[in-house]
Amino acid sequence: MSSWPYVALALALASLVGGRKLEDGIARYVLPSGVIVGLLGAWHLVVVQSGSTAFPTPDQVARGFEELIASQRLWGDIVASLFRVTWGYFLAAGVGIPMGLVAGWYTRAFMALNPVIQGLRPISPIAWIPIAILWFGIGDTAGIYLIFYASFFPITVGTMAAVRNISLVHQRSAQNFGLKGFRLFRLMVLPAALPQIITSLRITLGVSWLVIVAAEMVGMDSGLGYLINDARNMGSRYDLVVATMIMIGVIGIILDVLIRQLEKFEQVRWGIVKQ
Amino acid sequence: MSATQNAVETPSEKVVPSSKTKVVVEKVSKEFAQRDAKLKVLEDIDLEVKDGEFVMLLGPSGCGKSTLLNIVAGFEKPTSGRVLIDGNPVTGPSPKRVFVFQEYGIFPWGNVWDNVALGLRDLPAKQRDEIVERTIQLVGLDGFQMAFPRELSGGMKQRVEVARALAVSPDVIYMDEPFGALDSLTRMSMRSEITRIWQTQKTTLMFVTHDVDESIILGQRIVVMSRRPGKIAEIVNVDLPYPREIGSPEYVRIKKRCFDLLGVTAHVAAR
Repeated sequence: MSSWPYVALALALASLVGGRKLEDGIARYVLPSGVIVGLLGAWHLVVVQSGSTAFPTPDQVARGFEELIASQRLWGDIVASLFRVTWGYFLAAGVGIPMGLVAGWYTRAFMALNPVIQGLRPISPIAWIPIAILWFGIGDTAGIYLIFYASFFPITVGTMAAVRNISLVHQRSAQNFGLKGFRLFRLMVLPAALPQIITSLRITLGVSWLVIVAAEMVGMDSGLGYLINDARNMGSRYDLVVATMIMIGVIGIILDVLIRQLEKFEQVRWGIVKQ
Repeated sequence: MSATQNAVETPSEKVVPSSKTKVVVEKVSKEFAQRDAKLKVLEDIDLEVKDGEFVMLLGPSGCGKSTLLNIVAGFEKPTSGRVLIDGNPVTGPSPKRVFVFQEYGIFPWGNVWDNVALGLRDLPAKQRDEIVERTIQLVGLDGFQMAFPRELSGGMKQRVEVARALAVSPDVIYMDEPFGALDSLTRMSMRSEITRIWQTQKTTLMFVTHDVDESIILGQRIVVMSRRPGKIAEIVNVDLPYPREIGSPEYVRIKKRCFDLLGVTAHVAAR
């Protein structure tokens, strides 16, 4: 048995103890690195001590990763998942934002639409999988539909709430200067609601990424979710399962970093809540 | 500030408004429905404001002065009575009569230039640009055209809002404690700015405040209101030249009178 887990644990302990006293700028990297290295070491030790042959150690996962990359299969599945999320998500934003703006601004539209939206919203997108497959068959369209469903309600509800939160002073300013119709939406309603819309876009993208994996595990024949199932079913390759899980996490982080770029525009910074 | 003060050393005769009546408030009452009772906020308010006049609405908080201003501006409807401007009943807000808000009413998503141009969207670009630039200079914000409100101080934000109002050359400007959120030095310089701007633009100004000094420094007439239900206690004339000399005998007399009307003991006023 290799000794690296002990080295890792010692390193983790040292960086956590020593890192506390470092400057903020350095401690920001040293402390989390210590936690990660410590977790990897502990993971390895626990697997070895338990005598498990099914659950992989960190280095087995690393080799699984190499295998996935070499097999070329990983890229196809990543593209399949991203393709579904992109289409479903952008369609949902394209329909949900305008609908939320109108339903948030006009009381009658709100009265008409809100009960239906609130009624459909709590139904998990996962529960729709059988219906989605019935309607669209196994393939991208069913996935896109599920992501649309998962994204549409949070985006619409978030936009509606953002519009209904617009301060009275800004509403009255717009009224005072005679803004009406499309111009009212372009110059006041949309920009006033935009910071909160961006926040719900960001949360929704995270949710979409969770949903696509579940959907692919149950009802698709490609994508990262399907890859996890496939790796388990073909010879219990849990090293590949865990490697794919890590890949899902990494892509999730990348998506979040990308969408957060929207928060940097001067036009929305006034209203972005620090998280 | 001294330059500004020199500029406004004009005898009061020059700023006496034309005798034309601009705003008429006729028997305006306002009630708000509460859980079981009705809350009477304003009772039988009668008021006339002349064209180009600078009128202060002074009262303790909760006397309904802001509600009155909101009714005159058309944002709220009176329970009974009516408001006429140039002889026509007010049915809603209009770009010819602009409200400057207590909190910041400018749009934080647009820069100074966008905000000042808000009411000028229908003008040809050349004319619009010229008005925007001129107004930004008038309120002393030249060089800040591209700055966003979050980068500006409280006083500068309030200047942007005043510029946004002035840009549309309104007949009337309503101000609801516009300097309430500013520090006292900024508030003082904003007061002389407003006086200067009013003297050059000849706009009718209705200004709500709970600050006795502010009302004497700024207004030609002070409408002193009493607490709930809000009524006009008395209209006090301020027949003093601008800039007002704080502590002059007439100033102190008016101040005492205001404090008496507001029910505050006189020795507070006589310092």
